[in-house]
Amino acid sequence: MIKSTSSPRAHLPGDFAIWIFIFAELLVFGIFFVAYAFARSYNVELFNASQSTLTREFGAINTVVLITSSYFVVQAVTAIKNDRSDVCVNWLGAALSMGAIFLVIKIIEFYGKFSVGISLSTNTFYMFYLSLTFFHFMHVILGMVILAAILIKARRGGYSAKDHTGVETGASYWHMVDLVWIILFPLVYIIR
Amino acid sequence: MSENIKSHPVRPYTYVWLILILLTLFAFVVGKHEIGNITIVSLLLFSTLIKGQMVIDFFMGLHKVRWFWKIIMYSWLLLVMGLIGFAYWLGLQ
Repeated sequence: MIKSTSSPRAHLPGDFAIWIFIFAELLVFGIFFVAYAFARSYNVELFNASQSTLTREFGAINTVVLITSSYFVVQAVTAIKNDRSDVCVNWLGAALSMGAIFLVIKIIEFYGKFSVGISLSTNTFYMFYLSLTFFHFMHVILGMVILAAILIKARRGGYSAKDHTGVETGASYWHMVDLVWIILFPLVYIIR
Repeated sequence: MSENIKSHPVRPYTYVWLILILLTLFAFVVGKHEIGNITIVSLLLFSTLIKGQMVIDFFMGLHKVRWFWKIIMYSWLLLVMGLIGFAYWLGLQ
């Protein structure tokens, strides 16, 4: 049976195993987000007052940084699909740089909070803020490790236009990290 | 062989990136004014929903896959955003 090239592909981009991992991660983050929102509904004044102490600029810059890194990863996938391994390596390097900027900004933010004595036990808002953002922080690190491994393999010519499942697998994970932050930013930093 | 490789354009993704950045700036400007009412919260949640859908469809590449997979991702996004919206509505009562 001949299929039209315009018909949808049957499979998700990359290795299917990563999608099981992605669905599980999204479920965990989703429960975390909903728990935050309902905890807030019982103590709106405390959450609003504590939220006002956050540096929204850091949150907004980090959102722009992660969205841009995701865009760079899209460029890397497009490059390898066009059989441009060298260009793919450059875009992956750029995405990794963005990931590093995200981590540095987040460390500055964490340091600012810890240096004035804020901890998980300060109040319910900070418990959620610190645990949610740290949990995401760890996912960014894992995403960077995956992207770095793909970059090394791509540099050695390990991927091509016909064989780029590994690049798509890593890209899918990185976009999941971006997707989660896109919800986390307005939820924790903006909406009141 | 390279002659069998289809060209994959990148321009549509650049537009998606630009829209995502603009929606982020919108959220940031609203956040700076610290406004909390049902209209603003609804606008922010809707813009977040749009951003999430764009990342799922274009960056994750799910606009090319079968509806089954898209429904899983859209359901997650709608359920999470819907429950967040409901919780905020409760907080405004």
